[in-house]
Amino acid sequence: MRWHKRLLVAGVTGALALTASACAGGQVRGAGGTPAPQASTSTSQAAQANDSTFVYVPNLDVVTDWDPATSYSNEIVALSNIYEGLTRYNSQTKKAEPRLATEWTAADGGKEWTFKLRQGVKFHSGATMDAEAAKKAIERTIEKKGGAAYIWDAVDKIEAVDAATLKFTLKYAAPLDLIASSGYAAYIYDVDAVDPDGKKTAGTGPYTIDSWQKGKETELTLKAFDGYWGGWKPEQYKKVAFRVTPEITTAWQLLQKGEVNFVQRLNPQLFEQAGMTGNVQTSRSPSFQNLLVLFNTASGPAKDVRVRQALQAAIDYDGLVAALKGSAQKASGLVPQGLLGHVNGMEPKQDLAKAQQLLAEAGYGPDLPELKLSLTYAQGDEDQKLLVTLLSSALNKLNVTLQAKPMTWNAQWDLGKKQGQDIFVMYWYPDYPDAYSWFLNVFKSAEKPQFNLSYLKNADIDAQIDSLPQLTATDQLKADTAYQELQKKIIEEQAAVAVPYVQTYQRALTADVEGYVDNPAYPNVVFFYDLKRAT
Amino acid sequence: MPRYLARRLGQALLVVAGVVMLTFSVMRLVPGDPAVAYAGPKATPDELAAVRERFGLDDPLPLQFVNYVRDLLTGDWGISLHTRRPVRDDLYQAFPASLELVGAALVIAIVVGIPIGVLAARYKTKFPDFGVRFTSMLAVSMPVFWLALTLQLVFAGNLGWVPIAGEYDSSLDTTSPLTLWTNITIVDALITGNWPIFTSTLEHLVLPALVVAAYPTGVIAQMTRAALIEESGQDHARLERALGFGETSILTRFALRPALSPVLSLIALVFAYSIVNGFLVEAVFNWPGLGRYAAESIKSLDTPAIAGVTLLIALVYTLANLVVDLLQGVVDPRARAR
Repeated sequence: MRWHKRLLVAGVTGALALTASACAGGQVRGAGGTPAPQASTSTSQAAQANDSTFVYVPNLDVVTDWDPATSYSNEIVALSNIYEGLTRYNSQTKKAEPRLATEWTAADGGKEWTFKLRQGVKFHSGATMDAEAAKKAIERTIEKKGGAAYIWDAVDKIEAVDAATLKFTLKYAAPLDLIASSGYAAYIYDVDAVDPDGKKTAGTGPYTIDSWQKGKETELTLKAFDGYWGGWKPEQYKKVAFRVTPEITTAWQLLQKGEVNFVQRLNPQLFEQAGMTGNVQTSRSPSFQNLLVLFNTASGPAKDVRVRQALQAAIDYDGLVAALKGSAQKASGLVPQGLLGHVNGMEPKQDLAKAQQLLAEAGYGPDLPELKLSLTYAQGDEDQKLLVTLLSSALNKLNVTLQAKPMTWNAQWDLGKKQGQDIFVMYWYPDYPDAYSWFLNVFKSAEKPQFNLSYLKNADIDAQIDSLPQLTATDQLKADTAYQELQKKIIEEQAAVAVPYVQTYQRALTADVEGYVDNPAYPNVVFFYDLKRAT
Repeated sequence: MPRYLARRLGQALLVVAGVVMLTFSVMRLVPGDPAVAYAGPKATPDELAAVRERFGLDDPLPLQFVNYVRDLLTGDWGISLHTRRPVRDDLYQAFPASLELVGAALVIAIVVGIPIGVLAARYKTKFPDFGVRFTSMLAVSMPVFWLALTLQLVFAGNLGWVPIAGEYDSSLDTTSPLTLWTNITIVDALITGNWPIFTSTLEHLVLPALVVAAYPTGVIAQMTRAALIEESGQDHARLERALGFGETSILTRFALRPALSPVLSLIALVFAYSIVNGFLVEAVFNWPGLGRYAAESIKSLDTPAIAGVTLLIALVYTLANLVVDLLQGVVDPRARAR
């Protein structure tokens, strides 16, 4: 053998040896894992034999942060089944309902809250969940200052009065029962058992971790927590698997074959097809996420309220919703349906004659000088692109040129904070089920705007916004009225925003799943414990 | 040969250095604040400041570049903004799956492409030649995403001959847990004799590997055909004919070896190209490789992860070319003199 051949053989052998030794070194994949899902076998094996696995299909990573204090991303779906808060929001009744707390009272005008805790609850670690443990968990979350920890900003002091009583003293009045129902940063957990590597869990929820293999197709599997305070019935799902499927058509094929049970989103065409498929059921419900078209009230041509009102009137709301084919529904006001403060009868309509008249009053229009407006929206968001196309086409007729720029959120937000556009398009959703989120973040005056990207500055509106938390905590009827008045002021009088639509969830499930209800307060979350497999 | 090797290594290092500079520039030139991508869309100014401090985003650019190169050399490829894990760990998780897919595709491409290239050259301008040329043109020009969706729908969805998606039946993790050595599932299953996972991976591999193999098979077949036709017109072929060797014998015994030299170069390029081309195929078949990681990184503007993927692909291209240069030295000694 000649020397260069020897070199090659040695090189290849060395590379293989290096690869083998430097690589995994004999680890067992899914080590520590108990039964994984029967996910890729033939039809409905995953959903048969009721020790069955419920297979959920997300389109992105399942978990990026295992810490219940800082988690603020897609893992809400998994963590909401592993961890529990003091309360859980019911979007039908628009109220917080008992979870780890069985009852609660507010005093001192919403500045003092006392929660009675459920007895006999154990953490997955085996420790007892009591007031001291709950206090430590919330205090740790606050100290970590990550994710949505700000939701506890109102809290001044937490006391464990006795094992079953947790008392909060607040700096200012706030609806703590709603805050405690948040899907982010409101979990009660055993602070001594938190594992950022996801090998064990520290919650009280019905499921605990079975295996987590980052980057794998079946990224995460959960198993029933035998010591769950709610107990278990035979027909409930004892195992859950998350099978990451980025491609919608692949997810649809897997669902049709019964290899998975729940697809988080389908496009309108496939959703329609799903509705006509025998072994599949569908669910459509409005979310808490709406699209905001924010007009620059501080500078540029849109500073003139007549221009802003004209822009509101130029949007083809009905055409837009029709073109979105069920993935969105027309908004009525700023607050989505299912939240306190939602108002009926505020659905906007396109009125080009009114738009033309308002523009003419402001000195623009077909026989008047041309108006040029800049708009920024999310790159890659086809729904926003559709809005821009329709608006641009409508405005062209009115001698208004829309210079629309798709941008990444980072870049769009950076520009927005510098008042770099006339119209800013973005989605908004609340971190806990309270309409206050829109008003505080998006419409309250700010010296350095963060999300107030209409740059609205109005002392009356600010005062009304400041009164909302106390009203929500103490008198919900008055709060409802206050929210309605504010929406009229912001949308109709100030014309700071147009709200074209609320996004709609379009889910598809196998027909054998019973008990599924979409709860928009917890985006994309399926509470697996509430489901059962039909026999 | 040592000088040849040193020259090629030097050129490869220059290419890698260029890519490092490019990835750094792109990371910093992309509009927007990377701290926002890490801290989330509703991050407070304090949170953003803390993230900037942590990742040194407020340092002067030259210092950031020096730190970036130093970190790369010490094996620290940064922290992914969306998975929040070291990019190196993420790549280590994803890359073997892509290697598995592209490796299988290349085996198919070589085993099929070279023989049909020989067939086309042997029956030049006759029916087999037209058949091979037409098929290979079709394979090369067909959009890979469309091909993946179509094959999946027909063979997995409608006929049910092969699984729809995934790398292997994940329930086997419980019944036949796999011991990892190389992190390439099929190789580890073979090494450890884990036949349930081995057969399941083969079943899952068939469709995606065929789709990824379409382009390289077509290209290799065409290149083999062209190189063989050229070689069979050389002086040595005329001599071989005069000595009474048949056309098939001339092509396979004498012309094939020198003709393989350009084919080898092509295979290296096609290998690296297929890793990127396979991204879309991975998305369709839920293959847990670099494609999914790259797609999610791009969606979330995860610049360290995007830079990591880019750098890795550049390294693969460079390494593949280096290996082929060395192989060419073996196959065709004239290459060492060039």
